[in-house]
Amino acid sequence: MSFVRKIHPFLLPFSVLSWLALLICTLLYVHPTLMAGLPTPPGWLLLGLQALFTAAIFLQERYQTERLRGIDFNRLLRHLVLGPALVAAVCVGLHLGMHYAQQPLPAAGSVLFTVFYTINVGLFVLLLARTNYTWRSLVLFHGTERLRRQWLWFEILLGVTLLLRLLSWTPPLGLATGLLGVLAAFGAYLSGRQKWVAYLNRRQKLEAVLLQLAVILVMGLFVFYFQHTQTVLRLLAPPTQNAFLLLNAFFAGFYALMGLLVTLFNLPTAGVFEQKREEILSMQRLTQLIQRGQTPEEVYRMFFDSAIQTVGADAAWLLVEDVENEYTGQLYQLRPEQGEAIRQLLTDYNLNNIEYLNNDLANSSFRQLELPYGSLMVMPLHSSKRQYGNIYMLKQYAQAFDRENLSILQTFASQTVLSIENLQLIQASLLTQRVQDELKIASAVQESLIPKNLPIDNWFEISSHAVSATEVGGDFYDFLHLPGRRLAVLIGDVSGKGVTAAFHVAQMKGIFHALMQENPLARNEREKFPVPSKFMAQANDALGRCLEKSAFITASLYIIDYEHGGFVFARAGHCHTLYYHSIKEEVSYFHTTGLGLGIIRNDGYEKHIKNQFYDYNPGDVMVIYTDGIVEARDAAQDEYGEDRLLRMLEQSFYLDADQIKEYILTDLNEFSKGQPMHDDQTLLVIKFKAAQPEAGL
Amino acid sequence: MKITQNSTDTTLTLLLDGELDASSSVLLDNELSKPEILRYQKILVDCRQLNYISSAGLGVFISHLQTFQDANVKLIFFNMQEKVHNVFEILGLDSLMTIVPSLAEAEAA
Repeated sequence: MSFVRKIHPFLLPFSVLSWLALLICTLLYVHPTLMAGLPTPPGWLLLGLQALFTAAIFLQERYQTERLRGIDFNRLLRHLVLGPALVAAVCVGLHLGMHYAQQPLPAAGSVLFTVFYTINVGLFVLLLARTNYTWRSLVLFHGTERLRRQWLWFEILLGVTLLLRLLSWTPPLGLATGLLGVLAAFGAYLSGRQKWVAYLNRRQKLEAVLLQLAVILVMGLFVFYFQHTQTVLRLLAPPTQNAFLLLNAFFAGFYALMGLLVTLFNLPTAGVFEQKREEILSMQRLTQLIQRGQTPEEVYRMFFDSAIQTVGADAAWLLVEDVENEYTGQLYQLRPEQGEAIRQLLTDYNLNNIEYLNNDLANSSFRQLELPYGSLMVMPLHSSKRQYGNIYMLKQYAQAFDRENLSILQTFASQTVLSIENLQLIQASLLTQRVQDELKIASAVQESLIPKNLPIDNWFEISSHAVSATEVGGDFYDFLHLPGRRLAVLIGDVSGKGVTAAFHVAQMKGIFHALMQENPLARNEREKFPVPSKFMAQANDALGRCLEKSAFITASLYIIDYEHGGFVFARAGHCHTLYYHSIKEEVSYFHTTGLGLGIIRNDGYEKHIKNQFYDYNPGDVMVIYTDGIVEARDAAQDEYGEDRLLRMLEQSFYLDADQIKEYILTDLNEFSKGQPMHDDQTLLVIKFKAAQPEAGL
Repeated sequence: MKITQNSTDTTLTLLLDGELDASSSVLLDNELSKPEILRYQKILVDCRQLNYISSAGLGVFISHLQTFQDANVKLIFFNMQEKVHNVFEILGLDSLMTIVPSLAEAEAA
């Protein structure tokens, strides 16, 4: 096969050359006196050239790219009829016409006659090749592998008849006739493959009938022509490749005839096919509406139009009772009061919102409504959760609807409900997307609130870690340098999660920076800035006015005086501070009392909060954190806990602040591996150092 | 989370069973928000089966604290597990709310 594909581009020029050679030889054969110098070519040469030409044309057509585009069969037929068939018919017609008109030209047996004849033979071969391979496309349309094999055998056997003629062996008469008969029967059998006809609509079928008629006519014209040239004239040329061309012509004509008959007999049922196609198309349109993101109203309208068209209703009413929609439905050839009356009657009989079919309105309770209709069909639009409405369809005559109509309408209705619900889902997801986008912005804003530059001084090291479980978190920490080599460190946690918590975080930071301002009226240095307990009382007061009732905030504020090597802190319900005492060489928690912020919202808060003073030593380590750390859970749902955190500091106190933090986090991540993060986690490690590098080292 | 109620004329006992987290605290809030709850003199909360309390759970008690005080209803917790008690203590709620070891002491309080 690949060999033929390779030589395919040369087949056309080759066939033209072989035809020219055939023309010259035929001329010489018929008119030996035309060119005196040349010998008369033998008969076998003419036969050979004719066979070569035929083979080249058929092979050229056989390996042509598929002409059928999708299911556009009429285009295929049109190209056949308006192409080779028309040209061949014109040429043959011209020749016959001239002959009958008794024009002086071309006299029988003249050179011009021979040229015309040879041209017509060439065109006939071309037309046969084109027709047969057009029929191949139609025969093999949606064909099985078996059919393809049968077709191949048909081609091979036809090829054999072409070769038979070349060998000067003449089979016994009975055998030749038998072989011809068998092949003709094979061709007739293949002519039964007319599946393609079913894919045409009424108009296309009519067109196909005309086109096939044209093919048959052209074939008939050739038969007439060859008969004519054989009987009227002296023998011009050796007989054409009889068997091969005869069989091909027979097949071409017979397939066209069968196709014509099948198409003709299919015409009456074309309407049914078209209706089915229309149903499928309506369904597709309905489905596509979802993807194009149309409005529910458009879906309803589409449904209404498709339903009327498909069922062929004379009147209809779509009633939409969807509270989310302003669209309430529409009427077709029906007055609102008529629709309302039907609905009321159905409701009275408790038949509303269910499928209903009545093909004899005149002899039922509907008689009282005096409607000019004989049949009624009602289909509800509902999903498992909701009722969307009903469609009422009416026809003038009784017994006009059948079960089929009902099931189609049901399919349409469920598709419509599906579309409507899909649209609702899309709208909901768009809304969610917007909220997500806003959360991203909130997240970015909060990110910008986290102190980026940790305080740096040679008296201490600070290392920090903060992650939130959701887009925006409820944990916070902040630093503020105070005059006189002091540093305020705030850490805290807002109860709850999400945007509300994030909002209070921002508020808490505002309060921190507002309250930690120098008081110009202060009588002494110590009162210039609020001590931690005072700060907490003021913050509690400020928060009490805006925090919702069930929300509270825990916080710890440390004011570190690194000139004097001490700090003061207050704990408002926040996690205990973990501390390494370098002198005692011991790790412990500062167990102090203190109430969370926003829990009591009157003046009594100050009683519940205390300051704690502590003098630190170089090498001391302070670990402050939020409950997301100690309440992290492992696979067994056990909490990380204060004890394990304490042990971690016991093992790592001698390291740098950064390394201590990493040490703890590594252990924490190992502990809670594979578990979702439930709460925000914040961890600060502060390591106090010697005031100055010791001299001499 | 399961909440079981037991009441006498003057006392309502709530048995909390399970974890009091963000979702289950809504149930508790519904119970404590009922107006008739202020008829009782005492509300005893049995925390024997309470394994965990989240900040949302604490928030429910905190939000009703003032209302109960104003209506002279005593809110008393008893049989509290160590780790749950620890949560109350860290937040400083032990200084605001009555937490006693046993039912007997709760009834006596």
